[in-house]
Amino acid sequence: MTKKREMIFSIVRAALAILISLVVAMLLIFISADGSSVGEKFKMTGEALKQLLIGPLFRVNANGVSFEGKRLADILSAMIPTIFTGLSVCVMFSANQFNLGSEGGIMLGAFVSAVVAIYYPMPAGLHAVMAVVIGGAVVALVMLVPAILKVKLDVSEMVCSLMLNYVIMYIIKYLMNNYYADKTKGQIQTYPFLNSSRIASIVNNPVINSAKLTWGFVIALIAVIITGLFMYRSRWGYQIRMIGINKDFSKYSGMKVGFIIVISQVIGGFLAGAGGGIEVLGRYNTFSWSSLPGYGWTGITIAILAGNNPYYVPLAAFFMAYLQKGCDMMATYANVPMQLISIVQAVIFLFFAAEQFLSKYKQSLVVKTAQEEIAAKAALSKEGGAANG
Amino acid sequence: MANLIANMLTPEFFFSIFRISAPIIYATLGAIVVEKAGFANIGLEGLMMFSALFGSLISYYTQNWFWGFIFALFVGVVMSLVMGFFAFKLKTDIILVGIAINMMGSGGTLFLCKVITGITEGNTLASTTGLVTSKLMIPSINIPIISSIPFIGRVISGHSLLTYLAFIFCYLTYLMLYKTSLGLNIRAVGENPGAASSVGVSVLKIKYIAIAFSGLMSGFGGAFMSMSYAQGWSLDMVAGRGFIALAAQAMGGGECFGGMLSSILFGFAQALGIKFSSIGVDSNLASPIPYAITIISLTIFGIVNKRKAYKK
Repeated sequence: MTKKREMIFSIVRAALAILISLVVAMLLIFISADGSSVGEKFKMTGEALKQLLIGPLFRVNANGVSFEGKRLADILSAMIPTIFTGLSVCVMFSANQFNLGSEGGIMLGAFVSAVVAIYYPMPAGLHAVMAVVIGGAVVALVMLVPAILKVKLDVSEMVCSLMLNYVIMYIIKYLMNNYYADKTKGQIQTYPFLNSSRIASIVNNPVINSAKLTWGFVIALIAVIITGLFMYRSRWGYQIRMIGINKDFSKYSGMKVGFIIVISQVIGGFLAGAGGGIEVLGRYNTFSWSSLPGYGWTGITIAILAGNNPYYVPLAAFFMAYLQKGCDMMATYANVPMQLISIVQAVIFLFFAAEQFLSKYKQSLVVKTAQEEIAAKAALSKEGGAANG
Repeated sequence: MANLIANMLTPEFFFSIFRISAPIIYATLGAIVVEKAGFANIGLEGLMMFSALFGSLISYYTQNWFWGFIFALFVGVVMSLVMGFFAFKLKTDIILVGIAINMMGSGGTLFLCKVITGITEGNTLASTTGLVTSKLMIPSINIPIISSIPFIGRVISGHSLLTYLAFIFCYLTYLMLYKTSLGLNIRAVGENPGAASSVGVSVLKIKYIAIAFSGLMSGFGGAFMSMSYAQGWSLDMVAGRGFIALAAQAMGGGECFGGMLSSILFGFAQALGIKFSSIGVDSNLASPIPYAITIISLTIFGIVNKRKAYKK
């Protein structure tokens, strides 16, 4: 199939997947909408859909529609942690390692970074960098557990990482309750981070400040480029992708499969942990997470939407953040529970991951391309034949 | 420590091991059968969440535990068939289908709960605990003669109907897998789908049956969670049992009896965790015990397997 046709196919496929999920969302909104008559329900559904689709960027009211910079800033800032988990999952899934530990990883990274930010004074600037790097490094070390168990003992990395998520969450809660909590506060939270460790807003502007759009966003984009270069321009990245495509082939062609599998999960862990640190130092003054944040699961969706290609991660993260914001808007203004997001997310996820979705359409495109090629060749040989004759 | 041991050697403690093991056994049986058919269903967690929610809701709306229970099974089977459609028809990676189902199982059940009941406790939490009365729970059974035996009676008798069924199903699943033609087909499809289809077994049909069976088991497990283990459904109540079942399947060597024993081991770990917190250990230190034990026992299992492989 020609490049152009392939492109058209992926766009049509993505659009259709999103459309289907929106139809599902619409049905669910319709069911949940207030209103005594069907007409009223339709009206409420329309209102809710408007909030879902354009609410993330525009204020919708009686006077019409007006652009809201704050909401855009919110969306961009919400992308920070999910870009990191998305990248993390990209690297691990590329090697066909279904490690689901980025959920616990981002929480652990956030916690470790917070501890460094509170208890270990360092010069401004360096402090934040060290806190984030240490957070990432600790998670990278923890990810050695599922990775090495997988390589050495063939223990499922998926089950192991899932169990680790729970262990990490409870241990952090335990440490918070008993050692790190600021007992003067009603809520369980740490002491405030030292000022030297804060990650500042990109520009000093009240809207940007309140949305917490920090340098973390820029770092996330840099991480995208670095991960992309790593995956497509480095030897390890190539090996990770090769192992994902065909493990046996990689082994027989002399790659150290076990080592690369470990590396992929360590890098994934580092990305998730660093993301947690950047998120918590940029957005909050103290660490107060008491349960898994869910960014890991969003990261999996993002990686699937991006087709495990790091360069598409920001786009997918933007889409998910947009959808999340839309659901929040709908919850606020149209009284639709915001957990709708998890159903919509799962439906999009399923259709993106479905290889045979629209396979007939793809088939027809392939056939068309082939026919054109044959026709072109036939025309060519006829010409050639005519010239010879 | 002596205090703890004295606390443990009570009939209540052993009773609780069986009670806690039951939902894990169901999920493990589901995991075993799909594994025999050659794939992994990691969506057991999400399936159990859906079954738990609908079991609880339908029993409330019909004011009858039986219909709630039946509906929980129905939901489990239907959702698992949907999973099968995506996995087998649309060729989605079965692991990704499982992840999607788990995503829905967490937030999606809360959404459905809020929408269907209209309850919102605060802005984020909702549960069906307020709706369900003890009358709507799956009944417990006192076994006539055994219940009068001093210690053992209090351990074995008085369990929920579903707890007994869990153990019966271990045997039934074993019979199904090894003594029926269906079981033979399932194992054949898992071991060599090409060979199975060459003798006229419909591989696709067998795979659908296997995944539906895992859905049915999740239905039992989910119903147990919301209609016997706890009174009513609440967010994330399955708490990783579907995942623990995957570990139990692996540790049990993919067999029913071994899977049952591993499930009981996890039940024991969890009961121990509960005991720890009852004698004053921070519950956050006790709660991760079953999960940590899962990792440790998978490691031991891995080492043992490796040794065996060397010997061969």
